[in-house]
Amino acid sequence: MWALEQPWPPRRSRILANSPLALIATLSAGWLAVAGLVAAGWLIPTAVRVASITAVHGGLLAVALTWAAADTGTRLPPHARVVIIALVAAGATAAALDPRAAIIHLAAPAWLAMLAARGRLAGLGLGPDFPLSPVLIGAAIGGLLGGHLLVSASQTLGHPLRAESWTPLLGLWAYDIGANVLSAECFFRGALFNRLQRRWSFAAAAALATAASLVRYLADPLLPRHVEVTAGALFYLTLLGAVDCWLLWWSGSLVPGLLASLLFFLAYRALATG
Amino acid sequence: MRDVATLAITLLAITLLIVHTDRETAALLRHLYFVPVAAAALRLGAVGGGVTAAVAVLLEAPRIFAVIEQAGVTPPAAEHLVTFVALLVTGALGGRLAWYGETQRRRFETLLAVQRVLAEEAPLDVALDRLRACLAARLDASAVALVVREDERLVVAGGGAVVAGSLAAEVLATGVPRFVPDTGRGSRPRRTFVAPLVVGAEPIGVLAVERTGELPVSERSALATLAAHCGLALENARLASRQRRFAAELAERIASATAAKSSFVAIASHELRTPLTALLGFSELLARRSFEAAEVRRMAELMQRETERLARIVDDFLDLSRLERGLGLRLAPAAVAVAPALAAAVELFRRAESHRILLEFDEGLPAVLADPDALDRILKNLVSNAIKYSPAGSTVRVTARTAAAASVEISVHDEGRGIPPDALPRVFEPYYRAPGAAGAARGTGLGLAVVKSLIEAHGGTIHLESAPGRGTRVTFVVPAVS
Repeated sequence: MWALEQPWPPRRSRILANSPLALIATLSAGWLAVAGLVAAGWLIPTAVRVASITAVHGGLLAVALTWAAADTGTRLPPHARVVIIALVAAGATAAALDPRAAIIHLAAPAWLAMLAARGRLAGLGLGPDFPLSPVLIGAAIGGLLGGHLLVSASQTLGHPLRAESWTPLLGLWAYDIGANVLSAECFFRGALFNRLQRRWSFAAAAALATAASLVRYLADPLLPRHVEVTAGALFYLTLLGAVDCWLLWWSGSLVPGLLASLLFFLAYRALATG
Repeated sequence: MRDVATLAITLLAITLLIVHTDRETAALLRHLYFVPVAAAALRLGAVGGGVTAAVAVLLEAPRIFAVIEQAGVTPPAAEHLVTFVALLVTGALGGRLAWYGETQRRRFETLLAVQRVLAEEAPLDVALDRLRACLAARLDASAVALVVREDERLVVAGGGAVVAGSLAAEVLATGVPRFVPDTGRGSRPRRTFVAPLVVGAEPIGVLAVERTGELPVSERSALATLAAHCGLALENARLASRQRRFAAELAERIASATAAKSSFVAIASHELRTPLTALLGFSELLARRSFEAAEVRRMAELMQRETERLARIVDDFLDLSRLERGLGLRLAPAAVAVAPALAAAVELFRRAESHRILLEFDEGLPAVLADPDALDRILKNLVSNAIKYSPAGSTVRVTARTAAAASVEISVHDEGRGIPPDALPRVFEPYYRAPGAAGAARGTGLGLAVVKSLIEAHGGTIHLESAPGRGTRVTFVVPAVS
């Protein structure tokens, strides 16, 4: 038993320990450079969108991978962080060039799935196996919240479903799967919540991780800026964040939370304002 | 899972019912949501009740928000919103109260179980194992351990040894409860809490609980209380066990004392009667018949010997009585030359010619500081014992030599049957006679007890070595005149 046989106090590291600061600095510098070049008229405005997606989602995924490896003592393949950032950048660039090429976004989750199958992402709650019941419950919760969003948005605010072609919708879904949802779940739940719950209670850790993810969404320039949409997003994302934390805590796997978020965003993108 | 599925189906059924009725009926039917919310609160606690209420509100919200969006907060809409608040309060508060009641019930049951476990008499390690098993079954913990200090050692139940510098050792030393939020590497944190088992202000042990999952402040506080209760219950059990052991020992001693008293009465009667019979017989003969002068002298000598014997026995009784009442022996110490004292003491026994008595002593032995009568009694008692318990014709060796620290060591060594090893520790106890001694020779069982007391009263020491079949050596040391 630990309390009898191990030395006390245990070694504790800081919450932000083992963060890849050089990489974050490089990504920030890159984004600033692109923004500067766009402002100077040397690059097209779409380049800022590509740089933002790369810096934010790529950065979050890189930090999540680094923390998970450091916390569990697992070894990642060489340049894993650079690879994930490159894959996110590739997806964003391809989607900017041609909406149909947004499917390249799926390269990032595919690569992470490969790492998970090899047991390299256990620290994030991603392993070769995942529990079925929590996955089904995650799907049910995501479906319920997504369905509720569709019903309440259409009944209360009168927002219709998208009437345009499927191509932009598929592009957005690919973005959610490969960048938006993937980075949020991996970082805010798999990495941040996991670290916080080892210091504080579940409620405190879930509240902080959810608050951090809400800040990330609110700061996202790609979200619609309407007040009612923002309020709605805050409401649903708060529920979704708390539920995802609980699913990870309960099942030990990130997959149920990922599925819940993906299903919710599937519904959200189906709205005309999504 | 069945509860959750039942709740989900009930909520959906109520929603469908409300959706398919007119607005006025729906306003009444929405109160049906209170049924699953209250059921969830009672069955699943605050979280279950709160989540069920939130789901009910979510299901009902699109209808009312659409109305508010179109017509503002009308009285029916406000009433609808009040229903939402009531649902949430019912779910969360009702669940909290139900959880609190259930938790209190479990805590009382645990205290009762602890009391029952410790009411059974058992050695500490067994009692601790039982208590640990009882707590492990009730605390919903991944691991439970109990550590209790007993004299200089730690008795542990539910773990290995307590390592110096561990959390348990820290709590045991300080008496302050400690909580570590995570001690594992699993997907869920492994919370560890260690609380002291306290008696008065003194930590006598610790209760260590590890749980994969939550261990909130309220539960830690309850665990600290439980640990304090366990400490008291353990101490009570320990005291009760000690009391029972003491009572059993006391009963054993009383039985032993009663047996010794009966034995003593029998022995004393016999020992007193023997010289009295001789005195009575010879005195009757002298009174009724006429004898020659030589025969009269012989009878007088015999009567004198028996009288002296009677006087010795009575002296032993009186000395022992004084000692048992806590009074010291009356001694008149003086410088006594050892060699003449030894010679005088053995002279009487030499005349009996039943044993060969060898007297050996160093030249120039210093005089000892002793009461001459007491020293004589000591020597005669030891030589008499040596003769009584060794076969006729064997040798009794009496030696004296100068010992260290200005004292004289005198020993009496016989070639008798010896004393069994298990009887050796008791030979100086009053009334005690080694097994088989009663059949071998007469005696009250007081001789060695009185000898020891007399030697100790002189500031000396005595010890006895013996082995069955190899004889006995009694050695005592008395201080020399400085």
